[in-house]
Amino acid sequence: MHIPDGFIPLDQAVIYWIIALVFIALALRWARKELSEEKVPIVAVLAAAIFAMQAFNLPVGMGTSGHLVGGALAAIILGSPFAAVFFLTIVLIIQGVIFGDGGITTMGANIINMGVIGGFVGFFGFVGLKKAIKNPYVSAGIAAWFACLIPALAASFELWVAGTFPLVPGLIAMGTYHAAIGVIEAFITAIAVYLIWTARPDLDWTTKKSGMPITEPEKVAAA
Amino acid sequence: MMETKHFVMIGIAIAVIIGVVAIFVASSDPDGLESTALVVQGDKLLTGETPEDAEVVEDVHGGFAYESPMPDYELPDMGIPGQIIAMLVGIGISFIIVLGVARVAARQKECGNK
Repeated sequence: MHIPDGFIPLDQAVIYWIIALVFIALALRWARKELSEEKVPIVAVLAAAIFAMQAFNLPVGMGTSGHLVGGALAAIILGSPFAAVFFLTIVLIIQGVIFGDGGITTMGANIINMGVIGGFVGFFGFVGLKKAIKNPYVSAGIAAWFACLIPALAASFELWVAGTFPLVPGLIAMGTYHAAIGVIEAFITAIAVYLIWTARPDLDWTTKKSGMPITEPEKVAAA
Repeated sequence: MMETKHFVMIGIAIAVIIGVVAIFVASSDPDGLESTALVVQGDKLLTGETPEDAEVVEDVHGGFAYESPMPDYELPDMGIPGQIIAMLVGIGISFIIVLGVARVAARQKECGNK
C-alpha cells in the first residue's frame, strides 16, 4: 500500500505531509501522556515486529501479494489510534529513507493512510465490534480487515485526485486486492493480540471496569 | 505474566525469525498497489497472473528521486547475506528509534508530573 514518489504531484504531497504532521504531533502527545517507562521496551519490540512483518509478502492469488500493515494491531494492543500513527510514522520513515520502500515526498500520504486511517478504523472498529460480538480476538481480526481495506480505498481516491489512477477501475482493483490482503491482516492481528494479551494481561485494557484504555501501572494497581 | 525482559527477548527473536524467513519465502508478486498500477496501465488483468516483464511506471508526475542506502531491503551486490544484514539493520533501527522516542516521551511525562 506504500505510494511511491512520482505517484502524487509535489503540491498535493505537501498538503498530505502537513495533515500528517498534525497527527504526528497528536501521536507524540499520546506517547507523552500514556507511555510509562515499563512499557517502553514492549512498545519498541512491537515496532520491530511490525517492521519485520511488513517485509514478509504473502501471495493472495490474482498475481498479487500482501503483508501486514500493523496499524490496527498497534492501535488495539495499546488502546489508542494514535499508537498506530506513532508506530507507522517511525516504520515508514525507516522504510522510505533507508530501504527505498514507499516514497519520501509521498510519505505524508502513506502516514495518513496506514497510520491515521488504519489506526482509527482499527481501533474504533475493534471497540464497536467487541460490544457487538464480545470476543476480542475475532473483533480484532475483523477490525484489522477493515483497517486494511479502507485505507486502500482512500489511497486509490488520493491517486485519482493526483491523476495517477482512474477513479472506478482504481477503486475496484485496490478494493479487490486489499480485501484479499486484509485476510492476512485479520489473521495475524487476531493471533498477535491473543498472544500478547495472554503473555501480558496487564496490557489488556478491555478488561478494566472503566472500559477506557489504562496503560499505567498505578492505574492497573488501582483497578 | 511474562516479565518485560522475557517479552522483549522473545519479541525480538520472533521479529528476527520473521524477517530472515521473509528473505527466502516472501512472494515476489507485486503488492496490492503495484498490481493496481499494472491493471491501470493495461499490463495486467484484475484477476489474472502478473506477466513476468510487467513494470510499474513510477515517474507519473516526474520530479523527486531519492537513492536509499539499502534499496529493496538489500545491500547492493551482496546477495542473500546483504539481504539478511539489511533486514537485521531495519529491525534493529526500528527497535532503537522507537525505544528512544518512547523513552523520551515517557520521561517528559514524568518531568511534567513534578
